Amino acid sequence: MKRLTAVALAGLLALAGCGANDPKKEEGGEAKGGKLTILSASTDINFDPAKSQNLAITTLGLVLRRLTTWDVQPGKPAVVVPDLATDTGKIGADGESWTYTLKDGLTYADGSAITTADIKYGIERSFAPELSGGLGYHKSLLTGGDKYKGPYTGGELASIETPDAKTIVFHLTTAYGDWPWIVSMPAFSPVPKAKDDPKKYNQNPVASGPYQVSSYQQGSLVKLTRNPKWDAKTDQVRTAGPDEIDFQLGQETTVAAQRLIADTGDDRNAFGAGFVPPAQLVQIQANPTAKERLVTSEPGALTYLALNTQRGPLKDVKVRQAIEYAVDKKAFQIASGGTTGGDPASTLITPGIAGRVDYNLYPADPAGDVAKAKQLLTEAGQTRLKLVLLSENDQVNLAKAQAIQQGLQRAGITVTIKPVTTDAWIEVATGDKPDFDLTVSGWQPDFPSANGNIQPLFDSTQIGGGGYNLARYSQPEVDTLIAQATAEGDPAKAQALWAQADKRILQDAPVVPLLYAKNSFLHGSNVRNFSVAAFPGYPNYLKVSLKN
Amino acid sequence: MRTLRYLATRLLGMVGTLLVISVLTYAVFYLLPSDPARLSCGRPCTPDRLAEASAFMGYSKPWLQQYLDFLVGIVAGRHFGSGLAAVDCAAPCFGYSFRLNESVTQLIVDRAPVTFSIAIGAAVLWLIVGVGAGVVAAVKRGTVIDRSAMVFSTIGVSAPSYLVGLLGILLFGFTLDVVPVGGYVPLTESPVDWLWHLVLPWTVLALLSAAVYARLTRGQMLEVLSEDYIRTARAKGLRERRVIGRHALRNVLIPVATVFGLDLGTLLGGAVISEKVFSMQGLGALLIDAVGNVDLPLIVGVTLFSAFLVIFANFLVDLVYSVLDPRMSLSDAAASSGRN
Repeated sequence: MKRLTAVALAGLLALAGCGANDPKKEEGGEAKGGKLTILSASTDINFDPAKSQNLAITTLGLVLRRLTTWDVQPGKPAVVVPDLATDTGKIGADGESWTYTLKDGLTYADGSAITTADIKYGIERSFAPELSGGLGYHKSLLTGGDKYKGPYTGGELASIETPDAKTIVFHLTTAYGDWPWIVSMPAFSPVPKAKDDPKKYNQNPVASGPYQVSSYQQGSLVKLTRNPKWDAKTDQVRTAGPDEIDFQLGQETTVAAQRLIADTGDDRNAFGAGFVPPAQLVQIQANPTAKERLVTSEPGALTYLALNTQRGPLKDVKVRQAIEYAVDKKAFQIASGGTTGGDPASTLITPGIAGRVDYNLYPADPAGDVAKAKQLLTEAGQTRLKLVLLSENDQVNLAKAQAIQQGLQRAGITVTIKPVTTDAWIEVATGDKPDFDLTVSGWQPDFPSANGNIQPLFDSTQIGGGGYNLARYSQPEVDTLIAQATAEGDPAKAQALWAQADKRILQDAPVVPLLYAKNSFLHGSNVRNFSVAAFPGYPNYLKVSLKN
Repeated sequence: MRTLRYLATRLLGMVGTLLVISVLTYAVFYLLPSDPARLSCGRPCTPDRLAEASAFMGYSKPWLQQYLDFLVGIVAGRHFGSGLAAVDCAAPCFGYSFRLNESVTQLIVDRAPVTFSIAIGAAVLWLIVGVGAGVVAAVKRGTVIDRSAMVFSTIGVSAPSYLVGLLGILLFGFTLDVVPVGGYVPLTESPVDWLWHLVLPWTVLALLSAAVYARLTRGQMLEVLSEDYIRTARAKGLRERRVIGRHALRNVLIPVATVFGLDLGTLLGGAVISEKVFSMQGLGALLIDAVGNVDLPLIVGVTLFSAFLVIFANFLVDLVYSVLDPRMSLSDAAASSGRN
């Protein structure tokens, strides 16, 4: 799961409305050809699937296929679909094993066949400490994964079986219904053992997707060209429109946005990988042609106020419920950039995630219900509450902290803001010395399942030690619900359990859902099929094409 | 013999200074409440995986031990991990960036040409413009030229480079469309494109720094022009151009050289703001990136390299003193500059 960083959230600071995923932008259909340019502030792209935390629909998805992948479309929940495999997996009778079969005719860019042995090897190498850094949910789920050190020193992992070149079987330590999402992660890309050079694989991976890396200039430019062996008939999500894709790295975000607003020359074929900065969002409102090319996601990732449930007066559920009413979500929304920054939230499972049930346990005007909050505080005997709010010390986060501070002040709660650097915030908020009462955080799951919304934030095993249960929430009933939902192999039943957990958690009010965040992106006038869904709130690179 | 002894002392002093800076950099970043291994641990980051990542990268050792490993690595190289995925960092190894999969030495070698291109070009430009404007302003003291030069320099001194850079991009890049808005083309790839991409960064940096040099040169020049030996030179019937160019300017350049050496050394270590604004991936951008990602080996490596450049520039300034003023020996020059 990915905590939304301060830098990322800064991009949400918008002051006015803008275009959305306009159907008109879909003109051009499956157009082929041209060179697409992606402007990125990042100075590095790590193509090693073991070390990558890329979303399935962004950069790595263009070059590397996995067993399954995501079908992401605006207005619909994200769906897991087969990629290299023929289906999203067959669950064993015990619920703890999953079998996949590869499609026919799959080859790498060099024409050699993709086999399940390559997928097994790709997963195994992700266990090597030398290649740590990627998405590693599978490491604790695969039997024996806790002790395995990778193929370079530890032989093979017995819990991954490849009875033939097209079949692969996974044996898990426990039943895990979201396994089809797990095998959509980068580590489940095939890596042929003979071509594995761990030191250089990050720049030169063996391509299985529609593009291959043709040149890699560290820090400045990465060029992708077509993989002639990719077969569109085997791929239901990638449209592979452009002939070439250039990633211009290390681009200053303001200058990149200005280039896209100016929309001249090759920049007409470009889009920005980062959020449009606040100043340019305002500028775009006065520029009709640029406004046409601004795409804002549907409300998605959750921004929330965590209440440290193991500290002082916040141990009392009535005090926490009072804070649910006292918070001024409207002021927080303004501090987050207004309606373009996000919509007020009331649930833990976010829009765009299958099985979400919309509800509000603490119904009030977005500005809060101060009288109700005061009443609950009086009942709890806490009329002079003093709390410490841990905040990152950048301008955007401090503005949000002040919105919380002022909202709670109305109910007689005195909040002292404790500003710290981002690194220090991570250490204090997720570490074992949680010296704070309140903190604001954002959360976007690494895979679009309610599991990703709930388990990392509310499972008692995620308290401290780097875990993101910032509220230090421990409720055996919820832990049991999480375990049941996690183990459930039937998606519909699992979704019902997650929705139940969602409500049950908020009854205890360990967090205040604040906003479902929105992200805004800008593209050039020749770019087609550019869309941003609620989840993951980033452009779907796999479908972008250029005007003929 | 005296000169040799002086050079040896200075070199030892430089090494000592670099050692102190490296110890301080290590200590400062280890005292910060952040774990560099956590960023390479992946998600979810379990305590076991964190410990593995930390051990592989050498962060699990006490910081003093890590520092000693770093020093040994400069001479003997380093080796991390085992098996096919093990990482070798050949001597001189100034650390290894696990995030970028590259030795710090190689990263500095790759990025230095970008920063050097920006810094040297800009420095030449600001020295010519700044000193030229300062001399003219002093000679034409009290005239419109003098006042204009000083107004210009006041604006230059007070304008933030980030703002001027962005305005330059907006005006010359977007509105007039006469120069590229960013990016760097290696000299070896296309000398013309290299020059074309650097015109705006050079101009912006030179405009800002030239202002300082214009003020400094003017002040020094006015002081020198009131000296007896200048009056004597004029009384002897020397032409004004010779008085200014040969007798006065030479003395004016001594303090200018001091400031120039430090400025150039600092800029060579990373033109942080310019690189950021003009999307050029030099040492400054590398350092900012490293700090943002708590990439400790890279932070230490780039910091040391930058410090080396400043110290070395200081040393060169001392050498230049003896050229500018033949009465001074090397050791006198260093003593007079107060940096021995």
